[in-house]
Amino acid sequence: MKLFTILFALLSGCAAYDAVVMTRFDANEYQMITKIRVDSSHFKNSCDDPTASRANATTLAQETELFAAYSEHLPHNGDGYRAAQELDAMAQGLGKQYQTSSTVSTLFCKLKFEGVEHSANTIQHVLGKRPR
Amino acid sequence: MTLDEINQQLANLAVSGDQDFANAANYIAQASQAAQSGQLTPQELVEILRDMQRQTAILEDVSRLAFKETLNSCINGLLLVAGAVL
Repeated sequence: MKLFTILFALLSGCAAYDAVVMTRFDANEYQMITKIRVDSSHFKNSCDDPTASRANATTLAQETELFAAYSEHLPHNGDGYRAAQELDAMAQGLGKQYQTSSTVSTLFCKLKFEGVEHSANTIQHVLGKRPR
Repeated sequence: MTLDEINQQLANLAVSGDQDFANAANYIAQASQAAQSGQLTPQELVEILRDMQRQTAILEDVSRLAFKETLNSCINGLLLVAGAVL
């Protein structure tokens, strides 16, 4: 029972410490995720045009790469960086498909941009609520 | 696991009552049907399914962040209250 109490106190302490030292609101980070969300919502409407979509996929992949690289060394930002990496993997998957396939289906293009838009919205929601 | 068993599990998730699970199950079922009808290539279907896993991981990460934000607000609130009392 004593051990359990000590363990509980330690775990609670760690959680409280994590919360106190957590990454503060970063305007640059917030702007990047907003741009990713808005761009992907526009890009999904051009999926009928393969040339435009190929360029859009490259642009989005560069934006998510920058977002992940920016998040990487922000102090106490492990969860944020992991989310940024997953988002980047989603965008890179679309870019890779355009690089390796001669044709990419319109549906795939739409689903990928929608997926990035949805996840960017999820991340943006949490980043916006970070302590100031 | 056979394809029939997978479809059965997706159908079960679709009526599980949890809206997020139901949406995900319907999304996977639609993507699978799109691949069968030729609208998606097998490679594209694989990538879409991997995205589902990535989105789940993102949800887990942001849930932890949201928890810390709530805890941070609570601690700051308590500090304010304690400061006012003392």
